[in-house]
Amino acid sequence: MFTQLFGNYLLNEKIVTKQQLIEALEVQKLVRVKLGVLAINAGLMTAAQVDEVHAEQQRADKRFGDIAVEKGYLKEKDVEKLLAQQKSGQLILGQALVDKGYLTNEKFAEALNEYKKINSIQDKDFTADQARKLHTVIRNFCIFNAFTDSDNYISYISLLFKNIIRFIGDDFIPLAPEVTNTLEVSTLASQEINGAFSSYTAIEGDDISITEFASRYANEKLTENDEFSQASVSEFLNLHNGLFTVNMSNEQQTELTLAPQEITQNAKISAPEGIFVMPICFPFGTISIVLSSTKPTKE
Amino acid sequence: MEIKDIKVQICDDSVLVRKKMKDYFNSLGITEIVEAINGNEAVDVYKANKPDVVFMDIVMPEKTGVEALLDILAHDENAKVVIASSVGTQENLKIAIAAGAYDFLQKPIDFENVKKILERISEGRK
Repeated sequence: MFTQLFGNYLLNEKIVTKQQLIEALEVQKLVRVKLGVLAINAGLMTAAQVDEVHAEQQRADKRFGDIAVEKGYLKEKDVEKLLAQQKSGQLILGQALVDKGYLTNEKFAEALNEYKKINSIQDKDFTADQARKLHTVIRNFCIFNAFTDSDNYISYISLLFKNIIRFIGDDFIPLAPEVTNTLEVSTLASQEINGAFSSYTAIEGDDISITEFASRYANEKLTENDEFSQASVSEFLNLHNGLFTVNMSNEQQTELTLAPQEITQNAKISAPEGIFVMPICFPFGTISIVLSSTKPTKE
Repeated sequence: MEIKDIKVQICDDSVLVRKKMKDYFNSLGITEIVEAINGNEAVDVYKANKPDVVFMDIVMPEKTGVEALLDILAHDENAKVVIASSVGTQENLKIAIAAGAYDFLQKPIDFENVKKILERISEGRK
């Protein structure tokens, strides 16, 4: 998972200029990521090997994959796996910069490796116990399958729990989720995601749970469920939704937008299509993740 | 100009983000800090205070950060506005750069990157 934009990284490190980046972003819809770039990204080939295969291609009318296999750099099954990753945003951008001549394969390999080192959270960063919890959450979620966009919701929930582990803590137990038409809420921080995938997303809890959850995210001891605590919970939701939106942009080329967050207190919300509620128990209390395909109405 | 003498504007609808940024600026010795809580206010606060740099959220009520950025640049073409957003998508990055943003920060904000920007400003670089 990437938390920073590759393009922004290239700009900050002065590897490309603003003008070059804009040009590459403009043409990237037309770009198909070539096998060489994919192989560098996967760490299967070095930039020098890719350049060697490209040179060979100039002489013989053969495909990149065939030559790389002949030379023993790639296996047949690597080629298939690599081709499946052609839609990744960072790689499309990288390919566009290489095509334009703004980056060499070598410079691209170097920048991408450095960028990944700084910005990736690898799944291996999670402990076995955390990975099991994540798996349970996702399995519970899948049982419901209450949404038409279920693949996107699974990505959403999976990222959400990674962010909870990262920013709040892993001392929680996810409880069985339920789908309901109406829900009594104490304090609810919500945000709408709009676009090709749209959803109403929220975090709900009582005074103590909201205050404690907020304290952990803000990294400060907060004592009451006031504007500051609510802003902290809202900001966590905004941060998570933002990272989800970045992933959707990078991995699926889907551009989504976020609405400003809202706080609702002591109300009953309802949605005829159903509201998905997943409670998570922390030592300090219970927080619920609330999702709905349309924005619920308030009573 | 030294970093502590930089006049900073923070524009974010979240009181948490504003406080965290203010705490960080204070820790660098910066004392001139002005704040705005939405895009409309951001433009007014900029005009009234002429800060050396603005840190601007994108998703805000009233007026988005990008709209406020365009208004500020229309008023002062040399304004340095850094977009700081949780939504660092390719599309938003493109829009921000094209609109004339000085830089783009992905939330959660890594204060090391904020410091780099402040160093650039203190050295008077574009």
